[in-house]
Amino acid sequence: MAIAAAPHGGGIADHIHPEPQSFVRRYVFSIDHKIIGIQYIITGFVFFVLAGLLAETIRIQLMHANGGFVSPQTYNEVYSIHGSTMVWLVVIPLLTGGFGNLVFPLQIGARDVAFPWLNMLSYWIFPIAGLMLFSSFLMGAPTAGWTEYPPISLEGQAGTSMWAAAIFLVGVSSTLTGINFVVTIMKMRAPGMTFTRMPLFCWGQFATAPLLMIATTALAAALAALFMERQFGVPFFDPTKGGSPVLWQHMFWFYSHPAVYIMILPAFGIVSEVLPTFSRKPIFGYKLIAFSSMAIALAGFMVWAHHMFTSGLAPYLQLPFMVITFVIAVPTGIKIFSWTATLWGGKIHYTTAMLFAMGFLVLFTLGGITGIFLAAIPFDLHLHGTYFVVAHFHYVLVGGSLMGIFSGMYYWFPKMSGRLLSEKLGKWHFWLFFIGFNGTFLPMHWLGLEGMPRWVSTYDPQFQFWNQFASISSFVMTAGILLFFANILYSIRFGKVAGANPWGARTLEWQIPSPPHYYNFKHIPTVYGLPYDFSQPLPYRGLEDELNDTPPPVAAGAH
Amino acid sequence: MAVASITQGGHDSHGEIDQLYIETRELRLQGFLLFLVSDCVLFSSFIFAYLYLRNSGQGWPPAGINRLDVAFAAVNSVVLFGSGATMHYALENWKHGNFMKFAWMLIFTIVLGVGFLCGQGYEYTNLIFHDHVSWWGSGIFGASFFTLTGMHGFHVFVGVCYLTVLLLQSAGGVYTKDKYFGLTAGTLYWHFVDVIWVVLFSIFYLL
Repeated sequence: MAIAAAPHGGGIADHIHPEPQSFVRRYVFSIDHKIIGIQYIITGFVFFVLAGLLAETIRIQLMHANGGFVSPQTYNEVYSIHGSTMVWLVVIPLLTGGFGNLVFPLQIGARDVAFPWLNMLSYWIFPIAGLMLFSSFLMGAPTAGWTEYPPISLEGQAGTSMWAAAIFLVGVSSTLTGINFVVTIMKMRAPGMTFTRMPLFCWGQFATAPLLMIATTALAAALAALFMERQFGVPFFDPTKGGSPVLWQHMFWFYSHPAVYIMILPAFGIVSEVLPTFSRKPIFGYKLIAFSSMAIALAGFMVWAHHMFTSGLAPYLQLPFMVITFVIAVPTGIKIFSWTATLWGGKIHYTTAMLFAMGFLVLFTLGGITGIFLAAIPFDLHLHGTYFVVAHFHYVLVGGSLMGIFSGMYYWFPKMSGRLLSEKLGKWHFWLFFIGFNGTFLPMHWLGLEGMPRWVSTYDPQFQFWNQFASISSFVMTAGILLFFANILYSIRFGKVAGANPWGARTLEWQIPSPPHYYNFKHIPTVYGLPYDFSQPLPYRGLEDELNDTPPPVAAGAH
Repeated sequence: MAVASITQGGHDSHGEIDQLYIETRELRLQGFLLFLVSDCVLFSSFIFAYLYLRNSGQGWPPAGINRLDVAFAAVNSVVLFGSGATMHYALENWKHGNFMKFAWMLIFTIVLGVGFLCGQGYEYTNLIFHDHVSWWGSGIFGASFFTLTGMHGFHVFVGVCYLTVLLLQSAGGVYTKDKYFGLTAGTLYWHFVDVIWVVLFSIFYLL
């Protein structure tokens, strides 16, 4: 009966994988997008802890102008792996594989992603690649930073090749995820869920997935070339054999500039869900937020050389890159104003998720503004390779992406686990993190302006005060993060039971039990409008049975 | 005898085509096309690298290296493009239920693909042992030429294996007249490999 009522009649919307019976199939080699999302989140946070230890090693080293905590060689290894881990093993997997998998199939009213087995493969490549990356410490880790510019990377220790192989594998995982997500969003939306009714988190994923799919492959080529050159002496980048180190910079940044949008667009999506929910107001400028994500994704492919203003690029090539980079500030600004307008006059609930989203707004705006500074060629020539750059990208990646991740964790943890995270611990987490973060990275702006170079294990004693200030602040930030993990461990056992919709949110994932059943929906709902019109009735039909005791839909046999 | 069982397998229909199959096929088709797009980016990156190095002011071909033999490569290209044509007819024949012709066309395709690989092997042997060009020891020429054509050759090799699997699968009755997504994917992949070769032939031999 239920099946006959379904819109497609026997199509994918009615196809349900049988309920997994054994522990291994349910929690280890699961093909359920929700479990895979949680696996990504757990693994991502494990690597986050490791990267955090590396970060604290850096900060302890920089407590004193002469260093002395670790050797300069070790210091180089530590910051290289810290950056690589945070980019490829923490932020990208958490935002795409983690929250993407967990949330967006629910939000579009699908039973799973398009290719569940591929999804499982994507996940399992990721921890293996992560172990490979960390194993490079055993054979001498890379020392040329997360960008691994030749010729230093060509002369780097044996682990540099391991680094290349590990990042290549993470790239394969990302590419497969990207393909999976594009197809899922294109083809598997619930009836009535048109593109302009899709929640903005899905738009974030939809803008990100093509970047994952296209840009990451370009990185794979660069890494393969580096690997071949290091292992077999095939000359691509070595200038003494006719190669060009600048070629690596082109190939690397052609990926890595879109990669910064891979790391921020899903966070935009998280914030776009959290802000209207806790302002109890429709989101301002829905279409503009959605389309500006696409504009950013598209323009993101045309600005890579703004990372290379000091590499001897012809001035007539530099100018367009500068101008297009400025242009990207327009869609980004549209978002910032739309979010601010969403808050305006709203009935704001200061939950922890909301605090992180508002913190995101402030910190990301600061990071975005310094990004505009750095896009200006004359300014960049002065500040390239200084702590100003470090301050800039930590404001967008930690203040932006990571604040978005924390916001998403407080927002969706009830959906994952059925229990709420403690708000009290959460608020301590937020304020320690926010204050510690600004104390750590704000001074780096003027340290950079005064000429302190990044990637060096010792520094001029005149910079010592602010470095110590930054290091002590970073311990405050770490304390906040420790509270976050304590909160998770506590709340998963003793947290308040959440119920289906603790926040009064209106997107589809909140209309079904927490945690959702393996089949997601008893009946695939029909969608009649945007999810953000607070005060209006919910724009869904067919959800009546989701929260009562009616039996689950019948699973189709394996096919 | 493989051919005979294909004929039977084709007629041995698995029942009428259902909605789930239609929708799943759409997903797989789109996913496969996106995979080809990302594969195309992989080639494009290396092509960019080649053109970048080639135009870095060292002259081309670099000192001490002869121009590549266009005539032989042209013949070899015709072999590969011919296999694209036979693959096209193979799929068309399957759609029209001519399973015998399909099998022969697919076998031709595989043979031509192997022929192309042999031609490439001959060309490599000549370059390596006669002209003393190597992947690692001949500067950016060896690096870009062997990497790109080697990557393409690897794709052809994978394609030949894939088509052989498809031949065996169709002989085993995996596909029916209405359900043959694997054959569509194989054809798309083979055409993709062809198109990449058009670009590589142009930039290495003609440019």
